[in-house]
Order: sequence, then C-alpha cells, then structure tokens
Amino acid sequence: MRPDFWPALRSPFPWIILAFAATMPFLLPNYYLHILTITLVYAALASAWNIVGGIAGQISLAHSLFVGAGAMLASALLVKLGVNMWLGMVIAAAASAAMGAAVSFIDYRFRLGHLSFALITMAFAEMAEIYVTNTEFLGGASGLFLPKDKGDILAFQFGGISGVYWIMLAMTTLCVVVNFAILSSPLGYNLRSIRDNENAAQAIGVGLLRNKTLAMTISAVLTSIVGTIYARYLAFVDPYLLVSPVLTIEIVLFATVGGLGTALGPAVGAFLLAPLGEILRGHLGGFLPGLHYFVYGLVVVGVIMLMPAGVWPSIRARIARKSVQEARAS
Amino acid sequence: MDELLQALVQGFFVGSAYGLLALGMGLVYGVSGIVNFAHGDFVSLGMYLCFALFTAFALDPYVSVIFTVPIMIALGALVYRFLIKPIAGRQLLMVIQLTLGVALLIQNGLMMVFGGQPTRAPSMIESKLFLVGDVVIRGAHLVACIVSFALAILLYVMLQSTDTGRAIRAVQQEPRAAALMGVDVGRVQVMTFAIGVGVLAIAAALLLPGLPIQPTQGLRFTVITLLVFVLGGMTNFVAIMLGGIVIGVAEAIGTIYMTHTLGQLLPYLIFVAIMLFRPQGLVWRS
Repeated sequence: MRPDFWPALRSPFPWIILAFAATMPFLLPNYYLHILTITLVYAALASAWNIVGGIAGQISLAHSLFVGAGAMLASALLVKLGVNMWLGMVIAAAASAAMGAAVSFIDYRFRLGHLSFALITMAFAEMAEIYVTNTEFLGGASGLFLPKDKGDILAFQFGGISGVYWIMLAMTTLCVVVNFAILSSPLGYNLRSIRDNENAAQAIGVGLLRNKTLAMTISAVLTSIVGTIYARYLAFVDPYLLVSPVLTIEIVLFATVGGLGTALGPAVGAFLLAPLGEILRGHLGGFLPGLHYFVYGLVVVGVIMLMPAGVWPSIRARIARKSVQEARAS
Repeated sequence: MDELLQALVQGFFVGSAYGLLALGMGLVYGVSGIVNFAHGDFVSLGMYLCFALFTAFALDPYVSVIFTVPIMIALGALVYRFLIKPIAGRQLLMVIQLTLGVALLIQNGLMMVFGGQPTRAPSMIESKLFLVGDVVIRGAHLVACIVSFALAILLYVMLQSTDTGRAIRAVQQEPRAAALMGVDVGRVQVMTFAIGVGVLAIAAALLLPGLPIQPTQGLRFTVITLLVFVLGGMTNFVAIMLGGIVIGVAEAIGTIYMTHTLGQLLPYLIFVAIMLFRPQGLVWRS
C-alpha cells in the first residue's frame, strides 16, 4: 500500500460525504431516490470495469456477461430451484470469476492485442445474450419475475427502495475503495505497466497472466454482485437489459467520460450521465424516445474531443493549477 | 440435399453483401488504423435515407442510391475530418469510444425522427423469384450479389490502377514514406473514410428489400461486419469477400441444420475460433 491510502481513509471528508449520502432516503422523494439508486448501480459497474479497462488498459466488452450472471443466474437459482439468493449471489460471483479468469487466460495464451481482445470479448457478450434468451432455465427471452420484496434480509430482500439504496451505497463505496486500494498497491503498478507496454512489463518481471487474471477476477466478482442487487431491485429480470452488449457500452462510456484509470473518475462519469439520462427519459421519453441516448452520444463525443483524459482528471488538474497560482500570488 | 443447396445459394448471395459491408471497414482500417464501431449505424442511416425517399417521393431503394451515396460520402468526410482526425493516433480505446458515441448519435437520431417501430421500404423486384433447378432465388438477393461483386472488382481496379488508388495503397503500406513522396496523407484518409461510408449507402440499398428496419439494428450490422472483417484478415480484399460468404453460408446452414440457439451462435463461434487460431485471417497475405 502506498502511504497515502491510509491517511486518505483517515481524512474526514469522504466519511462526511458518505454520511450525508446515507441520509438521502429521509430527504428525497421516491422518484429521485430511484434515480440516485440507478446512478449508484452504474457508478459501481463503471468503477468495477475501470479495474480492467482503465487501470490495466484491457478493453473488455464482456462485462455484460458478469452483470448477466449475477442477475440471471442468481434469480434463476431462486425462482427455479429455490436457492437462497445470498447463496445464489455467491454462486453467480464464483461463476463470473471463473468466466473472467477464462477470458484472461485466452487473452494471455493467444497474446491478443487490444483490438482483438475488444472484438473477442464483444463476441462473447453477443453469444451470452443469444444463449440466455434461448435458455429456459435462465428465463429465456421473457425474463424472470422475482418474488415480492418483503424486507426479509435473510432472503436477500432489502425492504423497498431505501434498503436497496443503502446496500448500493455500500457496494459503490466498496468498488471505489477497491479501485483506490489497487491503484496504491503493487498490483496497481503492475497493471499500469502492462497497460503502458506489455512487453516491457513482462521483460522487467511483471507476470502477465497473474496480474491480468487477478484484475479481471476482482472486476468480475464486483460486477456480478452489483448485478444480483440490481436484479433484486428491478424485481423483473429482463435479459435484453441485463445481458445486453449495450449495457457494457454504457458502462464503458461512463467510465471514459469520467476518466479512465483514476479511482473516482468512473463514478464521477456515472454521476454526471446516469441522472441526466434517467431524467431525460422520464420527462421526454414519452414523445421523443431515444433522446437520452442521443444526449449521451453528444456528451461522449464532446468530452472525448475537449477533455480526452476525462472529466475528473481535467477538474483535478484545474484545481491543482489554481492552487499553484494562488500560492504564487500570496 | 435440396435444402442444403438452397442454404448454400442463399448464404452465398447474402454473404457477398456482407463482404461489401466489410470492404469499407477494411479500406478504412488499412489506411487509418481505425475500427469504426458506428459502421452498422451508417448502414442503418443509409437504409432510413432510402426509406425517407420512398415515403416522400415513392422512390425505389435502388434508384434512391443516386441521392444517398453523395449524402453519405459527404457525411463520412465530415465525420472523419472534424471528429476522428483530431483524436486519431491517440489511444485505441478513445477512437472506439468516439465511434461508439457517433453510433449512439445516429441510432437515436433515427429513433427520434422515424420512431422505434419497425418499418419497411419495399422495392419493385422484392417479390420476384427465380427457379433454377429446385433452388429458389430471390431477385433482391441476386441483385445484391451481382452489385456487390461488381463494386468489389471496381474498388479493386481503382486501388490497383488509378493514381488515387496508388496513393491509398501507399498510405496503407507506409504513411511516412507516402508523405515524403508527396501524397497528402490527411486527404487520403478523409477520402477513404468517405468512400468507405459511401459504399455503405449502396450496401444498405442492397440489403433493404424484404428486411424490416428499425433504429436499433445498427449494432447487429457492426458485429456482422466485424466478423467478416476479421475473417478476411482485416485488409485483404479477396479474403474479405470470401469471409463474407463464409459468414453468410454459416448463418444459412446454422438456421436450417442446427438447433435454434446453436444456429445463431455459429457465426460467433467461427469468429472466435478464427480469431484465436488464425488471427491473420482465412487467407495468407501475399
């Protein structure tokens, strides 16, 4: 661990923000709490993707596989076999970890370049959607309905939106902290050296297979758990939403807009775009379907042209510059 | 046996149009090193332009190509010049992201203008059928096949024996040397991207008859194009056409002979296998 990890945890600011965020269910009406919950889901997904896509620089388009496993598999185990959803969550996370490790192994064994890796993972995502929508056990094309949420924690029920909000807040925090921890640990340095130059990294003794697999597995497990919680929140588990390659594209867009490879960037990106999308869809979706994705498109193109590093690094650089100027002036 | 022959013929015809889709991508990749994830959405756009011309002036999709090709060429040039060029040469992910952003813009722009309901733009030869032996050939498929091959040959001849074509090949081989020889590399890149998108306008008209269209279909075309493009070793023209036919036939055979799921999965399985075991594509590069 880099020395600034622990002081950062000891600093009061993150805790104050977290405590403030935790009071939201008492302050906001349900509609805005819903938007906030969805935003947290995307922030967590984007942060989890960032471990592979940002820090390690492996453009994985297969993350809908892991969301799908977390959502569909855990739900199917509950609905079809009556397996407790906590256990289902663990099984799905294990399955995701296995799939993630397999993808990493293929990447390592065949020495795929960035482009090939992106294309192969995209093919996996497409195949997963076809497979799930054709498999009766996983709900097929019509999806699965989860039993009503009665607030029984032991049955993975969180008692409505406030409960889900709190659990998602914890989960998103976990994802961001994991990002932060990886960035300040030897693993983070290894992953970044792999991102910048794979051959050079290997030449100085950075194990490609070990590090890539570790990053992918951590990312897959986090993504899968978020998928299970999201499924529980939605109650209707729709494969065309949760196993769709479009979901991955959204995650990747949020992470890029926020700032790839930074601990907070992907979450910032999700907090900028997800509420915007939800509100546009809620208010204008009726007579202008597609508008919110159109706006996403504009924002993405704009951010890439104007702030290629992402929004969060740009803001940080600006603050740093200002404080330097102030120091000079005084 | 008849079924097999039918599948082969149909797969061959549809596959040649897939090959044409991928030629545009191969051309752009060779010259600029860019993989355009908005490729399928440009196809979508071409189809909706045909549809708009059909609803406004009752133009047959084949005729409206006269208008859609120049529009798409101009659009391709603008997109490359003002969006892709400023960030080309940066991280690969950035370019992929940008084209995904463009894909979102096109897809949802179409959604806002035309609505999400599937529609169709009928053509006069859509219902024409030919019977050769026991094999039924649909007129639209025949036209698609002939035009695709004609265009592929035309592009090939253009690349081989015109100055423009030589400039394009020079940039493909070694941009720096080409620049030293007086080739305006930036112009060639804009031009190839414009041609690549213009070809899609034609491919869109070829695929359109009999196909219900909707704004969200773009990603599907992008994926098919990527499959063919990789199968063809990314830049080899002949191999790309061949790759198109392989995917077309795989699709046709998969839907007839295998269970529904496996049939749909077959093209992707072939793709992954080729990607892993023959990353250079089906044909050795000469």
